[in-house]
Amino acid sequence: MTTLILRISMRLILPIGLVFSLYMAFKGHNEPGGGFIGGLMAAATFAIFRMSSGAAELDKILPCHPRILVSWGLGIALVTAIAPLAAGEPVLRSYLWDIYLPGGEALHIPSAAFFDIGVFLVVIGICVGMIGRFSEELEL
Amino acid sequence: MNNAWIILFAVLAPLVTGMLTLLLPRQAITLKVLLAALGPVVAFAFIIAGSSRINTEFSQHALDHHADHATAHLDDHHHAGHDPFADIPLPTSEVIPWMPALNLSLAFNADGLSVFFALLVSGIGLMIVLYARGYFGPNADDLGRFYPTLGFFMTAMLGIVVSDYTLQMLLFWEMTSISSFLLIGWDRYDKKAVKLAMQAFFTTGLGGMALFGGLLLLGVASGNQGLLDGNGIWRWSELYANVTQLDLNDPWVVSAFLLMFIGAATKSAQWPFHYWLPGAMAAPTPVSAFLHSATMVKAGVFLAGRILPTLGTIDAFPWLLVGLGGVTMLLGGLIAIQQHDLKRIFAYTTVSQLGLLMAMYGLGSLRYAHGDHTLPAIDLDLTQIANHAFYKAPLFIAAGAIGHLLSRDITRLTGAFYKFPAIGAVLILAGYGLAAGPGTVSFQAKELFLYAIYHATSISPWFWILMAMTVVTAICNVAIFIRLTATLLDLPGGMGPYAEAHADDHHHAHEPERGFWGAMIWIPGFLLVVPQYVGGLFPSLWNQVFMPGERFAYYDSFSHGVPSVYYLITHPGWPLFCSMLALGLGIVVGFLPAFRRAIVDIHDTIYPAVYWLAVSGGGILFRIVQTGRLRQYTLIVLLTLTAMFTAAVITDGAMIAATTSTLAAYTNWYDHLPGIMLGLLVCASAVCIPATESRVVRVLLLGACGFSVVGIYLVYRAPDLALTQLMFEVISVLLFVVVLRLLPEDKPRPYRGKPIRIVISILIGLIMGWMTLIAATAERPIADDQTLGSVFVRNSAYGDPASPLATERGGGGTNVVNVILVDFRGWDTFGEITVLAIAAIGVWSILPSRRKAVTS
Repeated sequence: MTTLILRISMRLILPIGLVFSLYMAFKGHNEPGGGFIGGLMAAATFAIFRMSSGAAELDKILPCHPRILVSWGLGIALVTAIAPLAAGEPVLRSYLWDIYLPGGEALHIPSAAFFDIGVFLVVIGICVGMIGRFSEELEL
Repeated sequence: MNNAWIILFAVLAPLVTGMLTLLLPRQAITLKVLLAALGPVVAFAFIIAGSSRINTEFSQHALDHHADHATAHLDDHHHAGHDPFADIPLPTSEVIPWMPALNLSLAFNADGLSVFFALLVSGIGLMIVLYARGYFGPNADDLGRFYPTLGFFMTAMLGIVVSDYTLQMLLFWEMTSISSFLLIGWDRYDKKAVKLAMQAFFTTGLGGMALFGGLLLLGVASGNQGLLDGNGIWRWSELYANVTQLDLNDPWVVSAFLLMFIGAATKSAQWPFHYWLPGAMAAPTPVSAFLHSATMVKAGVFLAGRILPTLGTIDAFPWLLVGLGGVTMLLGGLIAIQQHDLKRIFAYTTVSQLGLLMAMYGLGSLRYAHGDHTLPAIDLDLTQIANHAFYKAPLFIAAGAIGHLLSRDITRLTGAFYKFPAIGAVLILAGYGLAAGPGTVSFQAKELFLYAIYHATSISPWFWILMAMTVVTAICNVAIFIRLTATLLDLPGGMGPYAEAHADDHHHAHEPERGFWGAMIWIPGFLLVVPQYVGGLFPSLWNQVFMPGERFAYYDSFSHGVPSVYYLITHPGWPLFCSMLALGLGIVVGFLPAFRRAIVDIHDTIYPAVYWLAVSGGGILFRIVQTGRLRQYTLIVLLTLTAMFTAAVITDGAMIAATTSTLAAYTNWYDHLPGIMLGLLVCASAVCIPATESRVVRVLLLGACGFSVVGIYLVYRAPDLALTQLMFEVISVLLFVVVLRLLPEDKPRPYRGKPIRIVISILIGLIMGWMTLIAATAERPIADDQTLGSVFVRNSAYGDPASPLATERGGGGTNVVNVILVDFRGWDTFGEITVLAIAAIGVWSILPSRRKAVTS
């Protein structure tokens, strides 16, 4: 599947796909999207990239084992979940921070966004890892 | 500070100090010993402090009542016309709240029974800590591993005895199983030891399960009987306080008792579960000494003591305990006399003694007529238990010491006394206690037991059988003592070199260590055997120590001290006659060459046989259920779903109403035309899937299904779901592309039973459709016409004060689906990503990477 056309077009698709997946993940709180969808999108991008350019190329842009992503994601989600306990609040109590940017716009950062980042990382790690592992069976 | 905290500290002290020894440098042996010894010392002190503060009022009452019973008299102590124990206040327990919402808390009960056991455990525990230093020598590896595990074991045992909350007790109960497993399988490279550890673990673990069932059943059954506002009895103190309201003949209560009894019987090695205990000899001797004298095996006895005052009035109680206890006692004695390995001999005598203790508790619940009132048939339980600890622990300590230095095989110990006089002296002194010779507490205790049986014979002549069993057991014990002494002192009648020397004897001789720590191999044994003689010769001293425990144990029996040996001898009767008969015949048997062939306990085959049966039976069952065929699993899952749904429809009429109301709402079908057409597309592609042979076409059809569903989501304005489904389809297509080529060639299969499959498919399809219809009505208003959905919508961005679920904040986002996922139901999401991660770990471990691992 490592055709020239796919390989060249992946140079375009990969950054767009990743940026779009990030956009999906972060806008998810107010519009359709979210960590799960964003994660799937990024994973699909990575998977297609892996098909077109091979495992070695993927290692260059994703220089860690997918399980690192999974564990970081789980860890971030867990910390977000139990952090309110330190303040005596129930688990997963949400907070909302408003950061006023120069120009009068307010940036809303709900604490749930961090949870979403965790989900995002877990989903990427799992999908990339599984597809990668199955692909290895083909390549060898 | 709450007094319960003191008890909790006492319980945890051995564990904590044991674990702290791990922090010390490897070679700091003496420091480790001292630190490990601190645990039981602290436990001992704290138990005394905590219990006296908890039960001051209680014990003061008891003292007032029984100040006149300071010395015991076998015949005339029950002179009061009424039951003198009727108005003792009940023991109280103190509570540390833990999870109040679930009614779970840590409750500690420091009555006489538990304090007695706790002091026994921590006191002997201290001796064992010291002895372990003598036994293992300055071996940093063994000691470093031993003390933490021993501390764990000690904590578990202390926890059992002071727990008031039954489930809390169960927790510690299982902890003793686990810790003893670790200790019995001490030698990790010895396959036999590991196997025996498993055997002990399985047996006692099974009993733990039974106990768990029994405790749950008792709690639930008592709740059903309306006790404690339907909450049930979950604490011993509650059980004591409410036993009069409990219907003891209720089948549930009786079953609960039987299950609890199984737990006690396995733990205390009652026949036919006794085989694990001699097997536990694979443990290092300090463990054996502890296990047999103060811990684990006594847990069952303790449990019997705990339930005696309440469930003891169940009709089956005395017969069950006396019957099984008597059989165990006799069997243990008869096997013990035919063993050659010192540790095995003492293990079987322990089995025998445990049988005696169980039988004693059985007798304790009997009441016999005494003049114009009834009285319990027995005195003294704590004396009997303490007495056993004070000769069995020294016996094991000395056996381990001599096995370490010379051999554990009795046939090779001829004249060993002259080589190691200190150890030999401990062996002989403790052996005299085993034989229940006059001058020891053991003698008086045995006398009291016989006395109890003799009184029980007035209830039923069957108890003469128990009397005979006791005499035979006592003969065995005396004979063992005679042989042991004759062998050690090289007298005629000793077990000289035997032709078939014991095959198990692989212990090579060690050079004895000199100095203070070297002496620790026998000093703890000596210290422990001394109370036998102090109590035997000065019973008032013994009574001063143990009487308080007896009095406050909340029993209406077991309240009088040890009689003096002179009193017993000057007041002869059946008990004394039986004792003397046993002593005389025992001496004769001891010198005779009878019963000297080493035998193998036939019960040792029970566990392997049961294990084999379980494994092979489980294998057969496994092969039937787990065929490894995916379609069979799917079939089972779907058929179960069908059955459950059918049952739900039959029992809940509202489901049919929900269906009709949902259907009635869809009057204008043409409003839903896009949805219906997309639905038809889904159905059409789904129906085509089984009709095609090619896998690629099937994957494409499945994709068609999925994308049509995306369309349906879009039509019904669920962009989030549509996006998710879309991405999922993309990923699954990618996965299929990868996996399809890996699958084996698809051979056309003979489709047997195809009509049945079609029927099942249609049935399941219909049911899933029906469930979807019902799900549409599931949005019931929760309050004031507010549905769950509308509450979520309103609270999505900012909290809605009017909402019944209102919190002051919302989720901070306008996309309600996402807010539900990461905020309102965030914990679910967390669970899901955890499951995903576990699945991924499964894939990574089942399909290990063949590529060079990427270094991060």
